[in-house]
Amino acid sequence: MAPKSMRLIYFDARGKAEISRLVLAAAGQTYEDVRLTKEQWPAEKPNTPFLQLPVLEIDGKRYGQSIAIATYLAREFGFCGKSNIEELQINQAIQLAVDLMNTGSKAFYESDPAKKFPKYFQFFEKLLKESGTGFVVGNSLTLADIVFYDLVFNYISRKVASIEGYPLLQALSKTVESNEKIKAYLAARKPTEF
Amino acid sequence: MASSKIIVNYFDLTGRAEIIRLVLVYAGKEFEDNRISRDKWPEIKPKSPFGQLPFVEIDGKVYGQSLALANFFAREFNLYGRSNLDSLKIDQVAQLNEDFFQEVVKVFTADPEKKAEVEKKLQEEAAPKFWGFYERLLKENNGRYFVDDEVTLADLIVYDAITGFIGSFTGPLPDRYPLLKALVEKIGSNQRIAAYKAKHQ
Repeated sequence: MAPKSMRLIYFDARGKAEISRLVLAAAGQTYEDVRLTKEQWPAEKPNTPFLQLPVLEIDGKRYGQSIAIATYLAREFGFCGKSNIEELQINQAIQLAVDLMNTGSKAFYESDPAKKFPKYFQFFEKLLKESGTGFVVGNSLTLADIVFYDLVFNYISRKVASIEGYPLLQALSKTVESNEKIKAYLAARKPTEF
Repeated sequence: MASSKIIVNYFDLTGRAEIIRLVLVYAGKEFEDNRISRDKWPEIKPKSPFGQLPFVEIDGKVYGQSLALANFFAREFNLYGRSNLDSLKIDQVAQLNEDFFQEVVKVFTADPEKKAEVEKKLQEEAAPKFWGFYERLLKENNGRYFVDDEVTLADLIVYDAITGFIGSFTGPLPDRYPLLKALVEKIGSNQRIAAYKAKHQ
């Protein structure tokens, strides 16, 4: 049963909320894109389930954890695969990306950050090769593509990694960007540092 | 899936694989629990999809990432709720637990001279925070389970957090979490879980 009203609450940034915004954009779904200022956050914090953002408010009830939220939205709007095995493959890809993000903050302070990323970019490239469709899983856009796209976008825009030498990953980025609804969303998206 | 051949490959530890094993055990699904010694790992590594353990073979195809696999089996065996919203509630717990796990990672990756301090932080700050979230979520539901009125992946994840790998770093659950204590009791005394745990003391 589709929710009647949704509010996605985060800071005025891409950060952990962007994958959810991209799913909602791809789905053509209306929602309230709430962006709190740093000054507003202390008062709002106790109203969140786990003292963190993003929060997804569905028909008045609040939920936390960015991956849980994004996956819920992806399932709700058909971006989470067509079978249980496809959903396994999508989650596998997403958890790999999360592993990279967990090591990534350490790599940011390392003298040679390029050391950490090739291992993961190789896995992403491998998954794309095994799929052979231009999408990470199946033959249409899923949350896995969106997660890879957003991660690559972040690393490249902050100049901490390059995807030179990963042609399938490069192609995937272009595929996601040229999705009609995502393209429109990206064109209107206000640039933010994070 | 009922007749699928499943091999769970991991070290002889609870660690990251235990949740996969618990889901399969609870569901009564037979699987090969392949526990690999450290010296055998290098020769098995090329078989793994991402150079890591655990990886699971499902009818000959290999998959990695313990949480993705636990979710998959939970869905296969009706341990993932009855609606997308139920699944969101379960994923919320699963992702919170990933954050909890990352706090434990800080302990065993800490520099030797900082280790005691990091461990203290885990036991005095992080653990009560997550235990507190879990206790509250149980209370907000019906006091018995995380979702609906039956065991789902969320209950098994928290059972594992307390009795498995995370619990070995946090120390035992204090008495001020009665709902969590009752949940751990209940899952632990499930016949299949109890028999499985008895085999791997």
